[in-house]
Amino acid sequence: MNRVRYRLAALAVLPFLLALAVDLTLYALLRDRLPDPLASHFTANGSSDGTQSRGSTVLFACVLHLGLGALWAVLMAAGQHGVRRLRWLNAAGFATAGFVGHLLAATLLANADATDPARVRLPLWQLAAGVGVAALAAALGRLLPVPSPVPAAMSPAGPPSGGAPHLDLAEGELAGWMRRAPSRVLLGCGAVLLVAGSVLLYVGGWSSAVGALFGAVVCLAFSCPYVTVDRRGLTARPTVLPWPRIRIPLSDVTRAVSRDIKVAAEYGGWGYRMRPGRSGLMLRSGEAIVIRRTDGREFAVTVDDAGTAAALLNALVLRERASG
Amino acid sequence: MLFRVDPASPQPLGDQIAASVRGAIAEGTVTPGERLPSARSLADSLGVNLHTVLRGYQRLREEGLIELRRGRGAVVVDDAGARRRAALMQQVRELVRQARELGLTEEEVVGLVRRGLA
Repeated sequence: MNRVRYRLAALAVLPFLLALAVDLTLYALLRDRLPDPLASHFTANGSSDGTQSRGSTVLFACVLHLGLGALWAVLMAAGQHGVRRLRWLNAAGFATAGFVGHLLAATLLANADATDPARVRLPLWQLAAGVGVAALAAALGRLLPVPSPVPAAMSPAGPPSGGAPHLDLAEGELAGWMRRAPSRVLLGCGAVLLVAGSVLLYVGGWSSAVGALFGAVVCLAFSCPYVTVDRRGLTARPTVLPWPRIRIPLSDVTRAVSRDIKVAAEYGGWGYRMRPGRSGLMLRSGEAIVIRRTDGREFAVTVDDAGTAAALLNALVLRERASG
Repeated sequence: MLFRVDPASPQPLGDQIAASVRGAIAEGTVTPGERLPSARSLADSLGVNLHTVLRGYQRLREEGLIELRRGRGAVVVDDAGARRRAALMQQVRELVRQARELGLTEEEVVGLVRRGLA
């Protein structure tokens, strides 16, 4: 099982390493012909409006390719994907590597023999060429065999085994259940983005780092939601912030069960996910509270001790119904 | 973790909250070093007074099961013995309950325990 994961991760990183190798080789070949700083950012009409030193260009290329490679490795190796899905993911990885690799290479080539970086031009059709390279790379990636994962016997949204759990509450008894639901995947993504953002901030200033830093804040804020089941229903919010909050009131709940969820296979990723007929807060694979709502849709949160939470929710719902 | 309090019970609500936490520590649902819900959010969830929750937490602190720190809230003591200690405290509570049922005075209970130790 783990060997398959390692091979998947290696396959995921491969296109980015290849693209990085191409970019670095090109850099080494052109090194003496490149200005310092060189033009690194271009406007829509192709003229350059930003520069970068030669050293930071190399660093930028490394961080970008390795970061994307790591992201794809996590995407492909951490989830429970079918072979078809893995092929497409792999093709998408190749396409991304091809596109990014091409743009960096085109930038280097445009800078060759330039004396004034302000006059370097990178016409917009290079983007189209990048898409072309991406398509070729995707086709190549699609042809590569993917290591076949262990067939996962799972039934997405299948019926839960047994009846809904129930907790006996005395009349007038007050009860509440609460628990943190930490997500290593989101924490990891946040950390990687934070490092990438810091490097970009150092190298390229605010404008280039703001995207990565924003992503880092979002990932970290959502990496540890706090799940509560009480007289108001089920509430999930970030542990450190009162907002944004998801709440399913008791009147909205038909019944709740605890079920094992394979995040990547059933919801296609981590975080707040929407699928036809169901939505969920996916923090990790495993135990989850799954709520059948009165409108027939499903809501799920992956959290430990979900059985207790589901039992309490059912008891509270029953009591509310009884009291009218 | 699950908190249950019954206003109809003769036991004070704060003690019932403490009993919920004690039970969770003894069962291992809450592990050493884990943070308990903030008193405010717990009071909000159960619909009880904030001071009721704080009284319960104070009691657990006196029993050496949790630490109350400014800014960090209530944390289960980070000590491998916390679980067994919580289980022991449950037994002490049970001992007291049964002794009261039998109509024993405080001195008589302490005397019994002292004789047990001898």
